[in-house]
Amino acid sequence: MTSFLLGLAWGIAGVLVIAGGAVIGVWWERKVAGRIQLRYGPQQIGPAGSLQMIADVPKLLFKEDVVPLAADRPLFKWAPLAVFAPVAAAMAVIPFVKGWAPFDTSVGILFFLAVPSLEVVAILVAAWAQRNTYSALGGLRAASQMIAYEVPRALSVAPLVLLAGSLRPVDVVGSWRWWWLPLLALGFLVYVIASIAEMNRGPFDLPEAESELVAGYFSDYSGMRWAIFMMAEYGAIITASLFAAATFLGCGWPFDGAVGVVALIAKTALLVTVVMWAKWTLPRVRQDQLLRFCWTVLVPAALVQLAIVGVVLPWL
Amino acid sequence: MSAQIAGLALAIALTVVGAIGAVLVREVMRAMISLGAFLFGVAAMYAYLGYSFLAVAQVFVYVGGVLVLMVFAVMTARRADSERPALVSRHDVGSAAVAAGVGAMLFLSLRTAFAGSAVAVSANSSDLAAELLGPRLVAFEAAGVFLLVALVAVGVIVKGGEDR
Repeated sequence: MTSFLLGLAWGIAGVLVIAGGAVIGVWWERKVAGRIQLRYGPQQIGPAGSLQMIADVPKLLFKEDVVPLAADRPLFKWAPLAVFAPVAAAMAVIPFVKGWAPFDTSVGILFFLAVPSLEVVAILVAAWAQRNTYSALGGLRAASQMIAYEVPRALSVAPLVLLAGSLRPVDVVGSWRWWWLPLLALGFLVYVIASIAEMNRGPFDLPEAESELVAGYFSDYSGMRWAIFMMAEYGAIITASLFAAATFLGCGWPFDGAVGVVALIAKTALLVTVVMWAKWTLPRVRQDQLLRFCWTVLVPAALVQLAIVGVVLPWL
Repeated sequence: MSAQIAGLALAIALTVVGAIGAVLVREVMRAMISLGAFLFGVAAMYAYLGYSFLAVAQVFVYVGGVLVLMVFAVMTARRADSERPALVSRHDVGSAAVAAGVGAMLFLSLRTAFAGSAVAVSANSSDLAAELLGPRLVAFEAAGVFLLVALVAVGVIVKGGEDR
């Protein structure tokens, strides 16, 4: 029973980390967007507007939870949680310190890549449950994009697995050397781009284009259920950045122990900022451009990276 | 009751409830979700038996691939206004009899097929890789080439459809 309770405790910890990260992420995104576009962002409440995030939470909690009349009630109500849960689950396999991950499994990297496919199903169900043509369109777009970009994302992680000779994230961190950085630069770039598309963020945010599809697959959601979708999105940013910082960028390198964890968090924060920077500077791409870019640029680039590592590997 | 037994009970419950729901629920989307629960339950069974690679692959391929494809089909299917797509069968008893027959046949044949020979199984993903890229390399490569040809064929067919 203890392992079950331990799992439960880790689950609650993961949800709290993602919820906290999402609240901070919203504030940070406003500041980053403001600075990039030569405005201030939140600045009235607290120092540098930092108490704005505390003001946002009760606002969302007390908003009315509207369920459309025609909606499929049980599916409508449970779908947001099903979208959020895989994001929290994916965080469990990430090694936070050299040699330790909350859920240390021999197929951790595969687990991390497989879990977003549960999210695709949940997004489709959420889009369908609203009984709204626009949401359905947004859901179909989101799903097609997420499935397409899963391919380059998985391919970009494969060189790591080759170099480490293991699917266990802890082993990847353990065998990480500084020269992996230049060797895997192309794969890292593919991973970042594919991850941005995978989490439906700008410039690949067609599925939830606010002005055209009114937030796409969750257009009929309001209040806390809407906030859970946003938490899932920010959670995905944090999880993908944390994974990249831990595996591609060598976890706490060049430090060890507690300072290493701080270094890992700093690297993650930097990657999160890069993701936000991309959203607020690059124009949105069209759906056909998006899918063509995936199959004709990203997948070949990932394969080239795989070939480079395959050629270099026997001499290491 | 230990945690492992509780986990196995949960996996079995998920599998059975999902399977029953997938057959009996009339609304297509809910039937799909039941099917997803069933597939997830099977993955949980694999995980319980120690085949973690198989469990993750099950989620990857069946929940992420097959189920998404089916949900896609349901969402793009034409439906009457303000009416949810529903499955209606006039052959309940007959199809139940056929399903029971096929199930019994599978059960009996599989039980006798593997009764004498102990199949060597390994839970480790590196053993699996050694097996696939060692003694079964030719079959593995042939399957890969076959899939690639199928993929190129699909591309050619789709392209032909666009030109017409």
